[in-house]
Amino acid sequence: MAFEQTLITILLWFGVYAIVAISLNIEYGYGGIPNFGRAFAILIGALAVGAIVNRIFIALTGVSGVTYSAASGFAKSKIDALISSNPAYGILILLFCVALAAILGAIFGAIFILPSAKLKSDYLAITLLAISEVSFIVSYYNTEIVGGYYGTPTPNVLAFIPGESREIAYTILMLIFAALIFLLAERLMNSPYGRLLRAMREDEDVVESFGKDVMKIRIKTVALGSSLAAIVGALYTLYAGNVSGVVNLFARVNWTFYPFLMVLLGGMANNRGVLAGTFLFVAVWRLLDQYKHEIAAVLNLPFDVNWLQYIIFGALMILVLYYRPEGLIKEQPIRTEPIKEIKSGKKV
Amino acid sequence: MSVVEGAIIYSNLLVLLSMSLTITYITTSVPNFAQGSFAVFGSYIAFALFKLFEIHPYKSVPLVFILGGFLGVVTYFLVLRPLIKKEASVLILMIATLAWDLILLGFLGIFSETLGKMIGGYASRFIFTPYDFRVFGMNGIFFVSSAAILLCLFGLAVLFYKTKFGIALRASMENPQLAEVMGVNVEYTRIFSWFLSGSFSALAGALLPFKQEIVQSTGALIIVSIFAASIVGGLSSILGAILGGYLIGISETLVTFYLSKLFGTGVLVYSKLIPLVILIVVLLYIPQGLVSIRWSKWRLSRH
Repeated sequence: MAFEQTLITILLWFGVYAIVAISLNIEYGYGGIPNFGRAFAILIGALAVGAIVNRIFIALTGVSGVTYSAASGFAKSKIDALISSNPAYGILILLFCVALAAILGAIFGAIFILPSAKLKSDYLAITLLAISEVSFIVSYYNTEIVGGYYGTPTPNVLAFIPGESREIAYTILMLIFAALIFLLAERLMNSPYGRLLRAMREDEDVVESFGKDVMKIRIKTVALGSSLAAIVGALYTLYAGNVSGVVNLFARVNWTFYPFLMVLLGGMANNRGVLAGTFLFVAVWRLLDQYKHEIAAVLNLPFDVNWLQYIIFGALMILVLYYRPEGLIKEQPIRTEPIKEIKSGKKV
Repeated sequence: MSVVEGAIIYSNLLVLLSMSLTITYITTSVPNFAQGSFAVFGSYIAFALFKLFEIHPYKSVPLVFILGGFLGVVTYFLVLRPLIKKEASVLILMIATLAWDLILLGFLGIFSETLGKMIGGYASRFIFTPYDFRVFGMNGIFFVSSAAILLCLFGLAVLFYKTKFGIALRASMENPQLAEVMGVNVEYTRIFSWFLSGSFSALAGALLPFKQEIVQSTGALIIVSIFAASIVGGLSSILGAILGGYLIGISETLVTFYLSKLFGTGVLVYSKLIPLVILIVVLLYIPQGLVSIRWSKWRLSRH
């Protein structure tokens, strides 16, 4: 049972991080945009559910509470009861949350990247990181937006599924979304748009000289990436049943640094590689977490193994950068029609 | 602690941190995301010396200063130099400092929890304010942090303008290739800059608990202000770091304070928006920072 549980957790997190890593890969791997504020889009997704959908439900159910978190809790129990009586509501709410997160993610992503009109590489990375950090600090310390450090309960869209199999259902749901987004990313990145992104990464001036507006491409790309990342923010919040899974002080590590590690470990500008990197990371990460008490007991560690985990992943990142900057699987040429024909052995 | 006093203390420490960031940016051209953790490293060392050996944090400052310097040098040798040798891009170097920040966070967590077990108490969060002295109705930290800034600036001035090594240092900051041709060992100056960066940060970190509570992740909270301070001044100028540090530190504290008087204490959670807004405005309009403004030209054009 313990093993099955671990496997389900690994698969669930694989689904979650596969989407985040692919979204970052589109922006950074293909487009070369140093989005050190990936966490920002995840936050937008969490806010779409925790701050907007929740407020709609509070208004609809007419509940009131001393704090926003309390009111959300009352609304959640009413909505959960409704969902368990009729699954259609659950599916509708899920789709609504995802759509809202995707739209808001695209809008905020487009605004978020505007400083890139004037800033390049390191300055841009610092600015994006700063915007993301401050957004998290404000959402965490202000208890009125989404409950801050108290967190805010969110509706359980799969409340109609009995408790013991709900985790599996969420895992399947997450994997379906990950698969759809992977297919979308594969198609897009093997299209002229993908080629344009790589060209922009290599040399913006050349792209400009061919009459393309680099700023427009950047806005489109970050809007796309942020939209995908915001979907994860919403899905993960719905799964966790509380915004505190996203809105906490470790957001930079969990939602920016780890995705970068997965992309660089797997191989930039290579979605299959990124999936491999994500799986490797998630497996190590979850197994460390699963056996942390055993590890602490065997090694007689006087501290929480989580700290060790930071050192391990930080060191892994530096080792990857030094020994294998191209990642597990190298970047491959774009599969255009002629290349596909040559590879399949057909005569051109 | 009065508001102005608090603002000056905070700014003094911020200036130390932004100077640290700037010094290594000039020599290594990498913005160091681990700068905040360098400071928190200093805080925990001072706390450990205080709890284990009963050395008052003010007295342990020289030791913390040197240990911080070693942390800076280790950062350069372990993380950055190997990557620079492989001609990694600035972005890769920045990701490496992010990774190093995470490693330091892990070590700080391990250190603080182990320390807690050793002293039989709680060592994850602490504050030094009860151990501060008072003169003329003001907190000792006001005088100590001001003295620390003056000493560091005086030290830098003597080093830069009165010693041969300082001249070599300035030369290699301005034009490393030319300095190398003239026989300056640029590598030494780089190592030295990392020593200074680490030691100034650790010094700021040792004094910071006299102003605010420290937790393992304090570094992540102050990093935005540090970057804002350095960039507002001009990322490649030490003078800029000083200007930026005071501008950001004072406006972050005072603006928040006056806004909270107007709109209530709910405004306090938005205090970090101030450095962010200043940072973005400066980046968009004067990307080279305050030091790049030609004040004399501006005055002429008005006549």
